[in-house]
Amino acid sequence: MKRTVLLLLMAFLLTRPALGRELVDQLGRKVDVAEPLTRVVSLIPSLTETSFEVGGGPVLVGATHFATFPEAAALLPRVGSYVAPDIEKIVKLRPQLCLAIRDGNPKASVERLEALGIPVYVFDPKSLEDVVDSVVRLGEIFRTETQAKILAAGYRLRLERSARQLDGLKERPRVFFQIDAQPIFSAGSDTFLHQLLVRSGAVNLAGDRSGYPRYSWEELLVLKPEVVILASMGGGYSDQELRARWLAWPQIPAVRNGQLHVVDADLFDRPSPRLIDALEYLIGLLHPELAGIQ
Amino acid sequence: MLGYIPVYRKLITVTLILSLLLITAVLLGLTSGSSGDTGAAWQLLLSRGAPDATLETIIWQLRWPRVVLAAAVGAALSLGGLVFQALLRNPLAEPYILGVSGGSAVGAILGILAGFSLFPGLAFSSFAGSLSVLLLVLLLSKRREGSGDALLLGGVMVNAFCGAIIMFLISVSKTVQVQKIIFWLMGDLSAAGTNSLPLLFGILPCFLLIFLLAQPLNLLLTGRESASAMGVNVAAVSLVLLLTASLMVSLTVCLSGLIGFVGLTIPHVLRLILGPDHRVLVPACILTGASYLILCDLLARSLPSHGEMAVGIVTALVGAPLFIMLLWRERR
Repeated sequence: MKRTVLLLLMAFLLTRPALGRELVDQLGRKVDVAEPLTRVVSLIPSLTETSFEVGGGPVLVGATHFATFPEAAALLPRVGSYVAPDIEKIVKLRPQLCLAIRDGNPKASVERLEALGIPVYVFDPKSLEDVVDSVVRLGEIFRTETQAKILAAGYRLRLERSARQLDGLKERPRVFFQIDAQPIFSAGSDTFLHQLLVRSGAVNLAGDRSGYPRYSWEELLVLKPEVVILASMGGGYSDQELRARWLAWPQIPAVRNGQLHVVDADLFDRPSPRLIDALEYLIGLLHPELAGIQ
Repeated sequence: MLGYIPVYRKLITVTLILSLLLITAVLLGLTSGSSGDTGAAWQLLLSRGAPDATLETIIWQLRWPRVVLAAAVGAALSLGGLVFQALLRNPLAEPYILGVSGGSAVGAILGILAGFSLFPGLAFSSFAGSLSVLLLVLLLSKRREGSGDALLLGGVMVNAFCGAIIMFLISVSKTVQVQKIIFWLMGDLSAAGTNSLPLLFGILPCFLLIFLLAQPLNLLLTGRESASAMGVNVAAVSLVLLLTASLMVSLTVCLSGLIGFVGLTIPHVLRLILGPDHRVLVPACILTGASYLILCDLLARSLPSHGEMAVGIVTALVGAPLFIMLLWRERR
């Protein structure tokens, strides 16, 4: 008798259609998430990275080009790039859910996937706090809430600490952040880079513009940056070449005072929790005297 | 009437043969793609093998709209080329070279920047762009009548100007939009979705209208005076044909972006093989243009090892040398 009941129960559990959960994404849209969730495709490297971090890695079945961090992410099948996801390859992977970012992935691709019956959970991080929030949200998606919440709490602590470090800061250096070298591009007021610069106690010289504004040497000579940060790989140049292009202008204070710094572009251009590493790195770079202050 | 019988016979033979070509192209287009597995796709189309819901979605909801879009764009562009070449009695006339595509592009890019939806916004702004360029080119050539290349010169100039406007628009727009515009400028069919298909029904009446006007088009080729002596209302027929061709081209350009050389290569090849009768050339252009672009898109999808290439690159890479070869042989 007991065995029959057990068998019936097992049969019920096995044949029962997968129950879905309804989650609300960062745009406030309702997204049906299958349960159990076993097949997820991430459409952008930052979310791939964060998914691995909260323990969702084993559930990922596809990622886009340049999703190279962590190492396991580099082994996932590729589904095009984040600006041009290959819908056919995505469909072939039969995902139960896709993860996208509003300002990264084309809207048309997201709509296309949804029209094909693949739910898409869209993130829209605007600040470092939103990035921490996406950690919690990914935890909800992958059912690794505890791990995600612990991680998020740690990130919040680090953000608070970095804010405290800057208390009573008197001088804010005028910083020019070069994203690309030829032509020269920087990051305007509506970017993550701007937030990082401001929160690390700097004045972003491109902060009076929006988007990714272009600069000429003429403008840079007038701007007189005190510190210049060069994102690595800009324009395909080596670190040495990147610096050499600036060293031709000793009139610029940053050049004169040896304040040219090349930083790892990967750390700065992805809205993932590694941005907090970037923030701490910037604070150390710009205010070495604050090191060690809790 | 007796003279018509061979034409009909030729029309039917040519249509049948080219329809077979089109069907082959469609089948090839449906069975190959980035996810591989051509064999399974063939089995599914022949309704053998195990049913596979994923593959079915890929074939019918992803590849099918794309193949249909490629066919429609290819047909519209080559028919547009044929009509422009006959009307303007200039073998180089083609939507791309005359600046009609360029004008349509400026209209569509303005539409993209303004955030218009595909229909009616983008379709309308691109139609308005192509029409104003066409008018401008025609006016320019009117003023310089007598010099045979006036029209072409006007087209080249207007096209260059459109190019400058496009570059200007790109340099002032945001990064996200720039990507969209650049993909679109290279001629890209990857945006094809089931929602764009209704727009394509708009070009079917255009095909029919042009086919019905094929005989007047033949007469126009003999010259305006002799055509009007044979009872063709030259002004009316020209206007209707120009409008129809521009409408057809801009409807497709707003979906596919700029695709060059289709309107030049296909009509020339067909004229070489089939002779100058437009009653045969019109359906032949539609069918061959459709097959040609499907096959070019197939190459665009499968040549790069990852991602895909814009189809406009393939049509130019294949079309330009082909056209040069034709010119070379004609000279000798």
